[in-house]
Amino acid sequence: MSTLIIIDQPPYGSWDGREALDMAFSLAAFDQPVSLLFCGAGVNWLRKGQDAAKVQQKSIERNLSAAPIFGVEALLADSDACGRYGLAETDLLEHATITDFGPELTDRFDHVAFAG
Amino acid sequence: MSSSLSEQTKTPAAAGVFTLVITGAPYSSQAPQTALQFAHAVLASGKRIDRVFLYGDGVHLSSSLSTPPSDELNLSEAWASFLTENNIPGVACIASALRRGLVNEAEMQRYELTASNLRAPFEIAGLGEWVDSAASGSRVLYFHKGG
Repeated sequence: MSTLIIIDQPPYGSWDGREALDMAFSLAAFDQPVSLLFCGAGVNWLRKGQDAAKVQQKSIERNLSAAPIFGVEALLADSDACGRYGLAETDLLEHATITDFGPELTDRFDHVAFAG
Repeated sequence: MSSSLSEQTKTPAAAGVFTLVITGAPYSSQAPQTALQFAHAVLASGKRIDRVFLYGDGVHLSSSLSTPPSDELNLSEAWASFLTENNIPGVACIASALRRGLVNEAEMQRYELTASNLRAPFEIAGLGEWVDSAASGSRVLYFHKGG
């Protein structure tokens, strides 16, 4: 059973995305194949050089950088959204890949879930 | 067999087993109410719900302290009755619950808190419960807060 978890909200504005990330890590911890897709304002999760100290939050950059170590198979960024936010692959975290978000992508997974 | 029924058999649900994940909070979203109506419809059609998992803001549904005005539906009570009557496990994610001040007796003692407020029959457990449902081939439906 492979799962794609989609995060379409910007980081730091709510806990929904952070809790979706916990879901992904949890699947990986139980050896279930999982990938994350960031789309819409959600692609900002993958920016390099985040500093969340001024909003008293932990930067999610470290969590995301650790995702491959914990067994998350892919960090995918929707290409349209990256274009909208002016993000090239060099602006993104090391393991992120820009991809097209459509049925060809979601069909590769048994289970697709959006962050709350 | 009607065509609509043969379409349903093509879903990934193992023998019509559903798992409901509620992430929208009661009274700030319609998610718990929509999920409850869906749950009634599932049982009425002879299918099964293996587990209801509360995640994120959805954990507020498991509060024993919610006290809406008497002419409004008490969603926590309605869900608790439904789960008890139908013997369906209701699980609140431990990380989501503790963050938001939903605790059972064990967590109250562990963190030396002054009170506990988890409504029976809800239990507190980890995301492993959700993984277990998802990995079992059950059809997992998410009830989010919406726009």
